Amino acid sequence: LEWNVSTWGKRRAFTEHLEKLAELVSEKTNGDFTMNVSYGGLSNNKENLDGIQIGAFEMAQFCAGYHEDKNPTVTVLELPFIGVQTLEEEVAVSEAVYALPAVKEDMARWNAMILMPSPMPQYNIVGTGEPRRTLADFEGMRVRATGGLGEAFAAVGAVPTSMTASEVYSAMESGVIDTAAFAQHAHLSFRTIDLATWWTENLNPGTVNCPVVANIDAYEALTPEQKQALDESAPEALAYYVQNYEKNVIGEWNRILEEKGVEKVHVSDEEIAAFREAAGGPARAAWTEQMKAQGLPAEELLATVDEALAKARE
Amino acid sequence: MAGHSSVREDSSALSRADRALFRVESGLNLAAGVVVFALMLLAVAQIMGRKLFNVPVPGFIDWVEQAMAVFAFLGIAYCQRVGGHIRMDILIGRLTGRALWVAELISTVLMLLLTLALTVGAFRHFQRAFDWNATWFSRDSSIDIALPLWPAKLLVPLALGLLALRLALQIWGFWRALRDDDDAPVAVPLIESAAEVAAAEAETVIGEPVGERERG
Amino acid sequence: MDPLNIGLILSGLLVVLVLIGVRVGFAAAFVGFAGLFWIFAQKMGLEKGFDVAVSMAGSVPHSKATTYSLSLIPTFILIGYLAYYAGLTKYLFEAAKRWVGWLPGGLGVATVFATAGFAAVSGASVATSAVFARIAIPEMLAEGYDRRFAAGVVAAGGTLASLIPPSAILVIYAIIVEQSVGQLLLAGFIPGAYSALIYGLLVILMAKFRPSLGPAVRGFTWKQRFESIPGALPIFFVVAIIIYCIYFGWGTPTEAGALGAFVVLCMALWNGMKWGQLKSALMESAKLTVMIFTIIWGVLIYVRFLGFADLPGAFADFLSGLDQSPMVTLIMILLAYAVLGMFMDAIGMLLLTLPVVYPAVMALNGGLNVSAADSAFGMTGSECAIWFGIIVVKMAELCLITPPIGLNCFVVAGVRPDISVQDVFRGATPFFVADAITIAGLIAFPGIVLYLPRLLLG
Ligand code: NA
Ligand code: NA
Repeated sequence: LEWNVSTWGKRRAFTEHLEKLAELVSEKTNGDFTMNVSYGGLSNNKENLDGIQIGAFEMAQFCAGYHEDKNPTVTVLELPFIGVQTLEEEVAVSEAVYALPAVKEDMARWNAMILMPSPMPQYNIVGTGEPRRTLADFEGMRVRATGGLGEAFAAVGAVPTSMTASEVYSAMESGVIDTAAFAQHAHLSFRTIDLATWWTENLNPGTVNCPVVANIDAYEALTPEQKQALDESAPEALAYYVQNYEKNVIGEWNRILEEKGVEKVHVSDEEIAAFREAAGGPARAAWTEQMKAQGLPAEELLATVDEALAKARE
Repeated sequence: MAGHSSVREDSSALSRADRALFRVESGLNLAAGVVVFALMLLAVAQIMGRKLFNVPVPGFIDWVEQAMAVFAFLGIAYCQRVGGHIRMDILIGRLTGRALWVAELISTVLMLLLTLALTVGAFRHFQRAFDWNATWFSRDSSIDIALPLWPAKLLVPLALGLLALRLALQIWGFWRALRDDDDAPVAVPLIESAAEVAAAEAETVIGEPVGERERG
Repeated sequence: MDPLNIGLILSGLLVVLVLIGVRVGFAAAFVGFAGLFWIFAQKMGLEKGFDVAVSMAGSVPHSKATTYSLSLIPTFILIGYLAYYAGLTKYLFEAAKRWVGWLPGGLGVATVFATAGFAAVSGASVATSAVFARIAIPEMLAEGYDRRFAAGVVAAGGTLASLIPPSAILVIYAIIVEQSVGQLLLAGFIPGAYSALIYGLLVILMAKFRPSLGPAVRGFTWKQRFESIPGALPIFFVVAIIIYCIYFGWGTPTEAGALGAFVVLCMALWNGMKWGQLKSALMESAKLTVMIFTIIWGVLIYVRFLGFADLPGAFADFLSGLDQSPMVTLIMILLAYAVLGMFMDAIGMLLLTLPVVYPAVMALNGGLNVSAADSAFGMTGSECAIWFGIIVVKMAELCLITPPIGLNCFVVAGVRPDISVQDVFRGATPFFVADAITIAGLIAFPGIVLYLPRLLLG
């Protein structure tokens, strides 16, 4: 049996759990169950859920923020300032949310079931020129940030600007934008770090949530041995992902910050609290309203995030 | 003479259907052109808004991507009517009479079958993004400002459906030509001889669109 | 059957369909759809397989056509038509004629330089060829130039638009390999000028040894020459605005292209363009745009099928298994592009191959982060990405003038229905030689590509 797995871009820290999962499953079944990971060959990055529903491939990765109407419940994890600080915390809140019946139903519309998250660090910003340390500094700042994150920055007077990720480097170089919000591996691959003079180490405004899903019918059709191999391998693959991300990406990140003399900006607790109040609160309220209009249990989703985070911190 | 062909007209039902459809196709093609024009203005607004007032167009890329469905598809049947979809005519250009009509029939039937399959597939693509019970009927939205995607996705099967209609009409035309052994049938794109083209060219203003030229 | 074999068989069918005259975009889409059906039917039975193939193929047109980077294409086409109505192309050609017309094959040389100049505002080869087929070919025919030769010069000259910025295809390359769009556009400038020079020399040599191709056009006084300059100035003005816009932070290259189009629109209105003419420009732009997009999504349905057949993966394995010097492998890759380019459209070819070929080439050079000293081609990883981009775009441009699917030749034949597409192909054949020389030069002297990026980026 071979499963086709659809993701996009190139092999990177963000896809290491897929590669690891393929390796582990094949090992555990002595090559009876293999996976073929395709980087963009099977689907566009915004249509992986479509492909799962069609039945064109058995497994896929997607990001909730690419298409919030496809997966409204999962977007709770992308709200600004939910307070997550580490990859472990991100894993904990993601898994708690994925376990909710409302989320399972949401995914079942696409004939999909979530296997594991792809935890991403917070989208801290890099910038050119003088470091911006306070909310007052954010006034008029042109930032490349999309979706809810863009709205959060807009709430404190910054100007989110719409452009593709690959345009960001030249836009920053020429001054079309002052700052860009990405996870570290994206700051590295889109080379915004080459232009940056500073990076906010603790602003932690939010991140994207990118689960790995399987086609429900394909999963149900597995033999008990295959199913067991898959179920057992997912946590192992995820642990490998986190370890790899922290060691290689974060390690490389810190090394490059040092080498290029990029300043780590530490935003004060008062400023962050003010930012959270200005952007996080209204975003939650608006999101709750929106979910309720669609008959989705907004409070339960939010409470699950808060509880899981508190539990992870214990 | 791949990008060009002429369409003959008379008072038959087929030709009247052809011209009626062509009016619709021309209007849609012009709408596509107008959207290209509007996008250019939107980009200028984006630059000026950002530079002069620090206010870029919110969700600029999302708007552009939605608009792209218009100019990528709306003119597709028009383009087929005027023979604008490119092809190799090294072999087919040497055929005449019934042999030519058989070849054209095969090629057009193949296109129709494909277009019908794609119309169904594209409609399903729309259906996956559409939900009667959701806000704005939307079950799929754009990345930045969450525009509903179903209107753009609906455009594709509609444009492909119109193309299917055009292809069906051309199949009818080629079938009639084959049956009657007609050398100059109506309502189908004809591969022109150099002399015919030169004569047509002489009486037209350069730069007039092909469709306009043929009607006049 | 093995998906790889299905891939090979259906790729053969594609060539057959194209040869028997099925419209290219539809032929590719048909083969792609048939391939998806075959693969899914093997996996899940006929009925379910057909169903999945319909859904998969049917999702590609919307999914792939509404990609932001492609939004440049209609703007770049429209700018071409607007420039035509603004009289820019006419004045440019007139100036070139007065200055270089005295050379052997003078109008051909003038066409080359005028297309190069126009390339600085036009981002699409096809549109450039379409515009000059209207302007240059009638003049050349009136002077008794060989019909094939005249058409060939215009088809080949149009390809310059894709190296000299702005360029839709360089943007597409930058997007695929995730490099800076600005740097690639910058890097294309000198190679574009160099390529124009080689074309010019070729035309002179051909006309010298075969005077029947076309006479020199003499008799312009210096006064007439200088009088022609102001007419050509607006094009430099537009270029200056675009460059200013990009390098001084007014907008991204994409937005700057649209600003350029807007400036040309203002010029055209100033020159008295009527609604009827604007409508013509819009109708023609829309028609050419839908034609190009149909090919793009048609080819991408075929590419989607190849993705399931894993043909690119098989190619990667083959390449990395070779035991020879990296330069030999690179040249083999380029030769493969030359062959592939005969059957594919430029954008489709790059989209299909780069995900496989680009990493292979980067690996040949020694990896993404290699230093110039440790590398195989004497350049850093990021320099190699730019250098290979320019070379591969030049290869892709070559496929615009090679039979059987050379888009530029079809467009010239489309605009000039009195010239058959076969004649345009024959007329363009000598320019393969020029392109081979150009590409050899770019490989032997990478500085031609890298000088400007190095200068501006230290
Ligand atoms: Na250009
Ligand atoms: Na070709």
